[in-house]
Amino acid sequence: MTILLKKATIIAAASVMLFGSAACSNGGSAGNTGGNNAAGADNASGKKELYKIEVLSQLANFAGEQGGWYGKILKDKFGLEANITAPNLAGGAAKFATLMASGDLGDLVIFGNDGQEYRDAIKAGLLLDWTKDGLLEKYGKDILANVPEALEKNKKNFGEGKAIYGIGHDASNMPPGPSEGNTMTYQLDMRWDLYQKLGSPKLTKMEDILPLLQKMKELEPKSDSGRPTYGFSMWADWDGNYMTLAKQFATMHGYDIGDGFNQGSLLEIAAHEDKYQGILDENSYYLRTLKLYYDANQLGLMDPDSLTQKFDDVVNKFKDGQVLFSWFPWLDSSYNTPAHTDAGKGFQMVGFEEQKIYSYGFSPLGSNRIWAIGAKAKHPERILEYINWLYTPEGMMATTNGPEGLTWEMKDGKAVLTDFGKQALKDNSVQVPDEFGGGTYKDGGPKFNNSTLKTSSINPNTNEPYDWNMWTSVLQDNPNPVDKSWREATGALTPKDLLVKNNQIALNNPISTTEAPAVMDSMLSQKLSQVGAIIKEQSWKMVFAKNEAEYNKLKDEMIQKAKGLGYDEIIDWQVEQTEKVFALRNK
Amino acid sequence: MHKKLSAGDKAFHAVNYFVFAVIALLCIFPFYYLFINTISNNDLSSRGLIHFFPQEIHFSNYGQVLHIPGFAHAGLVSLGRTVIGTVLTVGGAAFLGFLFTKQEMWGRKFWYRFIIVTMYFNAGIIPWYITMLNLKLTNNFLAYILPAIVSPFFVILVKTFVESLPAALQESAQIDGAGYWTIFTRIVFPLITPILATIAIFSAVGQWNSFTDTLFLMTDQNLYTLQFVLYKYMNEASSLAAIVRNSSGGQGLDLANLQTPTSIRTTVSMIVVFPILLVYPYFQRFFVKGIMIGAVKG
Amino acid sequence: MQNSIQAQANVKTMSDKKLFHIKSKHTLFLMALPFLVLVFIFSYMPLYGWIYAFYNFRPGIPLSETDFVGLQWFKSIFSNPTQTGEVLRVMRNTVAMSSLNIAASVLPVIFAIFLSEMRSARFKKTVQILTTLPNFISWVLVYSFAFMLFSVDNGLVNQILINLGIIDAGVNFLASDSYTWLKMALWDLWKGLGWGAILYMAAIAGIDQELYEAAKVDGASRFRSIWHITVPGIMPTYFVLLLLTIANFINNGLEQYFVFQNAINKDQIEVLDLYVYNVGLLGSNFSFATAVSMLKSFISIGLLFFANSLSKIVRGESII
Repeated sequence: MTILLKKATIIAAASVMLFGSAACSNGGSAGNTGGNNAAGADNASGKKELYKIEVLSQLANFAGEQGGWYGKILKDKFGLEANITAPNLAGGAAKFATLMASGDLGDLVIFGNDGQEYRDAIKAGLLLDWTKDGLLEKYGKDILANVPEALEKNKKNFGEGKAIYGIGHDASNMPPGPSEGNTMTYQLDMRWDLYQKLGSPKLTKMEDILPLLQKMKELEPKSDSGRPTYGFSMWADWDGNYMTLAKQFATMHGYDIGDGFNQGSLLEIAAHEDKYQGILDENSYYLRTLKLYYDANQLGLMDPDSLTQKFDDVVNKFKDGQVLFSWFPWLDSSYNTPAHTDAGKGFQMVGFEEQKIYSYGFSPLGSNRIWAIGAKAKHPERILEYINWLYTPEGMMATTNGPEGLTWEMKDGKAVLTDFGKQALKDNSVQVPDEFGGGTYKDGGPKFNNSTLKTSSINPNTNEPYDWNMWTSVLQDNPNPVDKSWREATGALTPKDLLVKNNQIALNNPISTTEAPAVMDSMLSQKLSQVGAIIKEQSWKMVFAKNEAEYNKLKDEMIQKAKGLGYDEIIDWQVEQTEKVFALRNK
Repeated sequence: MHKKLSAGDKAFHAVNYFVFAVIALLCIFPFYYLFINTISNNDLSSRGLIHFFPQEIHFSNYGQVLHIPGFAHAGLVSLGRTVIGTVLTVGGAAFLGFLFTKQEMWGRKFWYRFIIVTMYFNAGIIPWYITMLNLKLTNNFLAYILPAIVSPFFVILVKTFVESLPAALQESAQIDGAGYWTIFTRIVFPLITPILATIAIFSAVGQWNSFTDTLFLMTDQNLYTLQFVLYKYMNEASSLAAIVRNSSGGQGLDLANLQTPTSIRTTVSMIVVFPILLVYPYFQRFFVKGIMIGAVKG
Repeated sequence: MQNSIQAQANVKTMSDKKLFHIKSKHTLFLMALPFLVLVFIFSYMPLYGWIYAFYNFRPGIPLSETDFVGLQWFKSIFSNPTQTGEVLRVMRNTVAMSSLNIAASVLPVIFAIFLSEMRSARFKKTVQILTTLPNFISWVLVYSFAFMLFSVDNGLVNQILINLGIIDAGVNFLASDSYTWLKMALWDLWKGLGWGAILYMAAIAGIDQELYEAAKVDGASRFRSIWHITVPGIMPTYFVLLLLTIANFINNGLEQYFVFQNAINKDQIEVLDLYVYNVGLLGSNFSFATAVSMLKSFISIGLLFFANSLSKIVRGESII
């Protein structure tokens, strides 16, 4: 039972990550002040008195003492020792609720989103107002200098224009543009080697992948261990209010669930134009994707286990080479091991002509995962000092890439990986020397799991992004044969570069408003989950329908039942919010 | 018992042995299957290539679990709550179950039902938490023990068991002037050992496997139980998906090299079952052999 | 104190006997009192939380600042025809699954009786330990095992069937909507049979061995002594457990059904607990969750007393 609740939180967290990475960019502004002088952070260079803080992080996947190399930085630099509570890991919403009820959330509080729980915590007086006693001016200079708009947004949305209770993640002082790393969040990836062998046929629309996958399957009918290969292998355990994997082709056309500001539900909203569609609309990308999967199943391209397997099983199938298609670049890594890539086999972006990949652009306002300080914290200034440091290049570099001198070093004005870094950042189980904190690199990493500046923002000290994956030196350091072949064929360094070049990105624009993001009331969200349960169930049945007639019957049933449970009400609510967002977008 | 077996008896035993052997096999195979997967090469196991025999045997999965920080201490806490909790639960159930068999108790029926109906109460996590907080039972070892002393289900079991004993035994003692406590300790207690052994097993397994109380009530790592530590460990592994997505869109993290949650989960459940299997036979002797009331009487 | 002195005076008159009784009934109560207090503290005090069912409760925010919504959450269970249809479907599954469970509740009894007839003590002990093993495997792992057996690509069963030429291509057995209730009952039985039998083993051990000896002397056959000694000996335990099972009629739990559910079998597998979980509100909508658990408590306790009276009418004695 509890395991289940827990599981649900993971699913919820996963969906938050999937659908919630909101907001984006507009108006660059606020040049980074640079410099390492985190105000007050390392004054009085001596060691600080030890301060044990309780950290509540709705995003953490680790509970217990922050140790290792990052723990050492916290201790040496700020005298902090952090004990993390992670509802995500154990207890979920109930764990958070008990802490709310006890009247003390901890000293440093990280919210997974700026929804009801964050607002309740403010209302219940459990969070500290950063403007009190001039704390922010005194200890938060770099936050103010780098992302003033993010603070302002929080003040307007949640502090009635007066108080600041927190700041959202992934803010940035960059001009508008896609904020992703080398790859996008969603992409159309396939087995690049097979694609090449088939003469790199040009794909126009999403449906064109079916004949291609069929040929690929003919070319490679068996996996490494002799099992059959499939075009698609799917899993149902991440589904929220709809079949998660049926959303993916919408994101390749510039549509995503949610508008990047308000809570999303069942409305697909475009980033690049003022259009939206209910997922059950006759021509919606959602239904079109279901049809694609249905056709794939008819053609024998769909893994018949899709209905009953879990995500882990799918990863194992990827590892074994049973799957030829992937929606997520990060999923590719399960197949793209040196053993495969050295043999020239691996996943890469293939894409199609009509694609318009959804991008969560840079935003000076920040997004919805909140850093906050508990009202009962003994030394709020020392916590704010730490948060402030996270907005300096020094803090960003250390948190993203590890300690300077260990994993990376400065060379000719650029940051480059050390030999240790090359090893440790790729294989996380490498042991860290004791003078840097000991333990494995992974275990010693930052466990709060929230970000401050977007890691693809430019570090003023190196003029390169903070994220080591994006450094030129890393990109050009001995690429594997698959990447090499992809670069030769496309003439681009990374998938993002290629999409930008081809103008195939749908960039979401952040909006600025004094209203807080709209959240459904409990009655409506109850309806949403009931409608969602029907949509999920019918969608999967449709994919595995025996014939077209059954497919259509199931579809009609889905629409009828969903409407009976209040689908239209949900869409109406969402459209109302979205219209407001569109109006603000165009200002 | 040592009579020569009749043909019918022989057939009975043959069928009986066969059926139970089949059932036992059905029960042991999945367990065996899970076990060989934990000691086989993780890559082979995750690709579903281990069927009947382990391959490339290694114990690093177990090694990893045993090296979780605080493993030994958490084990001690678990052992402590299991032993103390079980003793008190068994004692409480035995005594209370016995008391409720006494017709002359004031409001017996009412109080018995007062306890029984709580089995079906569920007030929700928050009121429970607040109650425990007000009782100062957060970060307090007693939170593992006190709520377990009265367990309605066990009280019912004891009461039913005592009622099935010949009433004459207690009556004769009462006439001899023995008080309730004497009757309980001298006459009833020795006779109800089979049910107490059962309760001890149920309660010990319950205590050993419990982690929700730790999860909600304990922030002090010194009070973490083994199950909770393992639960966290397991969940860290299964939040793999979240980790992948959170680390800059998964760049830099290798799905191929991560241990699968299933192998960790399996290893953990093997480790948890082991002590239970060790202790179980000890309690078993209390109910494999029947009691002899005559012996007690005499 | 005075009472006890008088009792010790031990003059066997009517009035004295009565006095002894009054004393003992209170002694008994006083002996039970500490336990009753514990029950009150840990089981009754938290019940104040039932009040949340009538509010739009948010943890941390005082009730005085929260909307009172009356019976809104109770009504929301049947708010419109489609939803009522869903609830009816779910109740059908709940009734089916619980009925199967009740029907299967005699199996551990039979298991225990026949196991206790085993002659080899070692075999008996071994079987007993082995059959309790499945109880310790979590449902999540049971599912991974089931997936190993029945999956299309890799499943043992499919491989065997294909090799035997019975089927041509793999069949996804787990994604099937036939006999779902029965399959779930079988998994449940596999997991719980040995563990459930422990209680009956204890009950059998509690039967006076002299009865068997006496029966043997009388020349009773094996089945006669099972029928006339063992069965009556376990019946009280069986009836108590049956009563508790009936009271739990609507509480099937959800872990098992959760791991086995998929789009194809969902119509049949979704029991009440799973439904409430699937509609996704137990996590954060505490008012709704409280309303549901309150209703369930009342129904369970109602069933408990109903079954108890039924036992009184049918068997002439009540169980609790």
